[in-house]
Amino acid sequence: MNTRRPVAASLAVLGYIVMIAPLFFVVITAFTAGSTVRFPPDGFSLRWFEAAVTYQPFMSALASSLQLAVFAAVASLALGVPVALAIHRGKIPGKGLLEGMFLSPLIVPELVVGLALYQQFMIGLGMNNLTTLAIGHTVLMFPYAVRVTGASLALIDPAVEDAARGLGASPMRTFFTITLPLLRPGIFSAALLAFVTSFNNVPLSLLLQSREFRTLPVTMLDYVQQNYDPIVASTSVLILAGTVLVAVVAERTVGFAKIFGGINR
Amino acid sequence: MRGHRRSLMLLLLPGLVLLLAGFLVPALIMLLAPPDTTTGEVLARLGQMLADPYDLTIIGRTLGLGLIVTVTCVVLGFPIAYLLARSQSRWAGVLLAVAIFPLLLSNVVRTFGWLVVLGSQGAVGQTLVALGIVDEAPQLLYTPLAIVLGLVQLFLPLAVVSCYSALAQVDANLDEAARGLGAGRARTFWTIVVPLSWPGVVVAATLVFAGSITAYTTPYLLGGSRQRMLSTQLFQYSSSTIDWAAASATAMIMTVLVFGVAALSSVMGRRARAS
Repeated sequence: MNTRRPVAASLAVLGYIVMIAPLFFVVITAFTAGSTVRFPPDGFSLRWFEAAVTYQPFMSALASSLQLAVFAAVASLALGVPVALAIHRGKIPGKGLLEGMFLSPLIVPELVVGLALYQQFMIGLGMNNLTTLAIGHTVLMFPYAVRVTGASLALIDPAVEDAARGLGASPMRTFFTITLPLLRPGIFSAALLAFVTSFNNVPLSLLLQSREFRTLPVTMLDYVQQNYDPIVASTSVLILAGTVLVAVVAERTVGFAKIFGGINR
Repeated sequence: MRGHRRSLMLLLLPGLVLLLAGFLVPALIMLLAPPDTTTGEVLARLGQMLADPYDLTIIGRTLGLGLIVTVTCVVLGFPIAYLLARSQSRWAGVLLAVAIFPLLLSNVVRTFGWLVVLGSQGAVGQTLVALGIVDEAPQLLYTPLAIVLGLVQLFLPLAVVSCYSALAQVDANLDEAARGLGAGRARTFWTIVVPLSWPGVVVAATLVFAGSITAYTTPYLLGGSRQRMLSTQLFQYSSSTIDWAAASATAMIMTVLVFGVAALSSVMGRRARAS
């Protein structure tokens, strides 16, 4: 890689191996013809892919996960964009404190949030798990919506909005014809991030599961504990392929690195 | 002015309601007054935990492994970020994307890979047996090593991103200037590059440590019941034994630890910027 910096280069190579090698073995295992997860795999076949797409519990869990992720992304944005607007455009005393409060679900451990909702909503108030999950995922994705659209809002010159207002547009009209179109990349990034994060979530979905409605990662986690066949490997490869597709879409539209840049700064 | 304030309230209200009703209030009730339990009982349980050798082992393991994972992620992640930030190669963009990509990928998928690698029928064990180094595949799963490997894989991308965004802001000409003035490669690295990108390292370490001590999937799959951590213990208390006082006390410990780390990091970050 870089022979002039041997120490840095060897550490970097080691880092990439730790990040990527396990995925490589998942892919190899998924194509086995044998019926156990072992290395080296016994022959080559697509049987475990066929098994994965016809395995009812995984497929219905996939549908549940997708529905939940779409709901959480839309709901967190619908509530988060107004908050980002108020924080960045309004004159509010204690702005930092308010923003910190809106980002707090990101700091509290997810399992703690899951326990709170499970105990207070499902057991305490007798709510069904679907409603609780919808609330929980929206709460968890909310900080992403506020932060990412807020970062993108900070880049828009308020003078453009002032000009529209000066020309007689109402605040509503200014928002929908000026701010919202300029905000589109930020909203898209936030939606993508919220969707992916909700889809992959385990700690929250784990306590809030029921036999009728559970997410795919939780179902897979449960399956791994009971069985040791390669169906989880082939399902993992399908998820991997879907995630690559999402990454490619992200790269082509807003730029892949930018999405995460927005989260860390 | 009054109209301005009213529309601000309208913008904030739905979000505030969600935050209070869907998060803050349930979390506070859960921590301080879980079902059929008084605050006193929760605090008493917390006191017991902090004196009980078994519980202290779990807290110690969580913090110890978290620390090892954090140091490893910085030691591996900083060089990756450094080489990528300074590289002129067109492959640098691709390698950066490869390092960031796992952030989008399910933890279950990423962690499952280690079952294939470390399991008794897995790649490492079978290779050792085939080479005649050992007669029987060693127990690698359900060990602290397995948890560390899994968590490093999980959080290394986060460390790379944080270090990279700090390094990208450090002017590469400064390296050249130091080199031109006669500083060696190592000296330039330790006196110019590291101090200037230190805030990024602090962010990386904070995110990795906070993530490691609260992660669930990895300690569950790779540590099992043999290597309990705070998160797997919390799940146990809330789903199988249903010990609300113990669950709340464990949740308190986790929450205090995470907020403590966040506070420490903001102090360190401020000091790094001031100097």
